[in-house]
Amino acid sequence: MEHSKRQFLKGCGALLAGVSVYTVTKSPLAENTEAEPHSEIKYAMVHDENICIGCNACVEACREVNHVPEGVTRLNIERSGPFGEYPEQSYRFNRVSCQHCEAAPCVRVCPTGAAYIDKETGIVAVHEERCVGCQYCIAACPYQVRFINPETRTADKCDFCQQTQLKKGLAPACVLACPTKALTFGNLKDPDSDLVRLLKSKPTYRSKVDLGTRPKLFHVQNIDGEIML
Amino acid sequence: MSAFHFEGLVWHWPIAIYLFLAGLSAGAVFFAIMLKHFKLAGEAYHSPFVQAAAIIAPIAVFGGLGILVLDLTKPLDFWKILVFYNTTSVMSMGVLVLMAYQVALFAWMACIFNQMILQLLGDRLAFVSSFIKWLVKQEAAITGVLVILSISLGAYTGFLLSALIGFPLLNNPVLPLLFLISGLSSGAAATLLGGVLLRGNPNGIEVRFIHGIEIPMILVEIGLIFTFFVGLILSGGQSQVAALNAIGYGFWGWIFWGGVIGVGLTLPLAANLWMKVSADRKFTYVAVTASFSLIGVFLLRNFILYTGQMTGI
Repeated sequence: MEHSKRQFLKGCGALLAGVSVYTVTKSPLAENTEAEPHSEIKYAMVHDENICIGCNACVEACREVNHVPEGVTRLNIERSGPFGEYPEQSYRFNRVSCQHCEAAPCVRVCPTGAAYIDKETGIVAVHEERCVGCQYCIAACPYQVRFINPETRTADKCDFCQQTQLKKGLAPACVLACPTKALTFGNLKDPDSDLVRLLKSKPTYRSKVDLGTRPKLFHVQNIDGEIML
Repeated sequence: MSAFHFEGLVWHWPIAIYLFLAGLSAGAVFFAIMLKHFKLAGEAYHSPFVQAAAIIAPIAVFGGLGILVLDLTKPLDFWKILVFYNTTSVMSMGVLVLMAYQVALFAWMACIFNQMILQLLGDRLAFVSSFIKWLVKQEAAITGVLVILSISLGAYTGFLLSALIGFPLLNNPVLPLLFLISGLSSGAAATLLGGVLLRGNPNGIEVRFIHGIEIPMILVEIGLIFTFFVGLILSGGQSQVAALNAIGYGFWGWIFWGGVIGVGLTLPLAANLWMKVSADRKFTYVAVTASFSLIGVFLLRNFILYTGQMTGI
């Protein structure tokens, strides 16, 4: 009896440890390059910081098209500066919005599967009905771009206008609204797209790549102004 | 930057209370099982300390879950967490552990208090009586499963936070162990406090047994906290910034040194060491030492949760 109990306990423990290690290694963050063979589309975006003038037209267009309530936003233009002495002054602008990570931490931690990666387009999206509002995704996102929509009470974020513009065959609202064409949106898998051409012609960087999230928001770095450490 | 409100803060104090209560429940059960297994055997149900643990464990876990549900932005949709599972989500796995833990907890309590329950039932509800008798036959297996589940639950709250890759203080491999050990010690303290409040003998074998485990446990906890912060500081970069921000000057630095290290660890350790060589334990002594431990663990949960979210990568 004593012997079999001990064996049983050991077995339970081993099983538990095995199951947890198995599920963790299966996680999207562990390098998993299994391509989606069926989908022809993988959307991405480039923000050219040299062209952006920080007018916030993109932010307002997004709010209008996606009905984002006041007080929260899917998209922010972060301003740093001014650099230099007047009249030789300049600012830097950085787009802060969902990066549509290939290995999205928010998708990994979501307990109900409400945060998911759309297999057809690579867009990180939210199932509104499934979200219970535990805010685990908000805490897990290293880019801090998720928020609770005060009207729907669900986790909300940029979805490249999947539900609004893309459905109509249009580019995302921010891209269309940008007066200086600082934003380029397109399909990474299409070698003839403006997006891929731009990525091949200008050096770009992505934010926090060392976390292994493989974001799909690219930035063309600003070369004006001071050198910062 | 204010201590309780700052940019990037997602999880507030209700989550800290939940983390505290889940660990406390797991710890109380763990020590009740140890008491029965090593000291009390068939007499366990008489012991006010085991009774206290049997009251505290379910109340703590229900209370914690209640707080968690109310903290959702859509509390009425909480059942979706029980229906949909995501195998890569620590929270999903934790919910499974919590569910299984509650089943095992009540099965174990039915085994321990089977005589009382059967007496209370008398001739009524024969199927309940026969079910309890069947459970009693499975007690060894139920106890074993409950030990594993209570340890899993204690560690789970740590894994929940360490899955947040953007915060170096939380995304730390020592955190689940630290939460497990501190959770167990809070459960021990709650069991002692509840036991003496239920008029248990403050100098009884239960208290001596738990106190005997408490000294090495506090030492391990101090070692884990040391490893936790030295590990962060030696990692450099934002990890170092996060660690020094947390235990340096300011509100949370005071909470850490005064509350967690002072009240929560040093005072109980000193009291335990002193009691080991001195005479009888009194009610006040047991109650005050246990309260210090509880306060310390509660402050540790708040400290980790808030300072953890202060510095991101």
